[in-house]
Amino acid sequence: MEASLDAFKRANTQVLGVSIDSVHCHANWARDLGGVSFPLLADFQPKGAVAKSLGHYLDGPGITDRATVIIDKEGVVRYSESVTPAGSRDMAELLAECEKINGSGSAAPASTKLSSGTTLFVKSACGVSRRARVAIDNLHASKDVAIRNVSDDAAAKAELLKSGGKDQAPCLVLEGKYMYESGDLIAKLADTLAPLL
Amino acid sequence: MTAIGEKAPTFVLEDQFGRKVDSAKFIGRCNVMILFYPLDWTPT
Repeated sequence: MEASLDAFKRANTQVLGVSIDSVHCHANWARDLGGVSFPLLADFQPKGAVAKSLGHYLDGPGITDRATVIIDKEGVVRYSESVTPAGSRDMAELLAECEKINGSGSAAPASTKLSSGTTLFVKSACGVSRRARVAIDNLHASKDVAIRNVSDDAAAKAELLKSGGKDQAPCLVLEGKYMYESGDLIAKLADTLAPLL
Repeated sequence: MTAIGEKAPTFVLEDQFGRKVDSAKFIGRCNVMILFYPLDWTPT
């Protein structure tokens, strides 16, 4: 899926993954898949509500079915098919379906590069530092972000304190700005590298 | 349950980056393809 994201973007289609797993479960799984930059949504509270509303919740096992729904620009459901949990999707067919529904209109794929010098200061044994690193992997940005660990690098710690004002990690340095709030910095990375259409 | 040809219900759900994704924001902008999948650790 990740490989065909640009083709779906050209067909003016925002791809969203949905299951009943939690957000953190999604992030770790996504990284193990090689990184997933499109939103994986947690249909978690109440469990399966979105899947139920679109008829793709399996009451027996209490999970979402493996199914695909395409909604057009007017918000109308145009395609809704299950391949069963054991089945697999035909991405080429789904892309053709999206292109047909979209007609000739196209959104220019919005892609932004991180500015050079983007740095993430992290701490060892720190859950939020780890989450920030998982997000960077999901956004395929590990080559574009310098990771500096303040727990075992005294120079990094001193530099963070001097330039950012606090030696608290995680801290993202993006375009000269120091972001210390972990939720904000992860969302900022996602909005920069994988903006929603 | 929403059938083909009907308006989809809108929803706001959190993604793996902690962003609240509001499906209503895509109306008038782009198409949306929702991939439902059974559980994490199974292929997409």
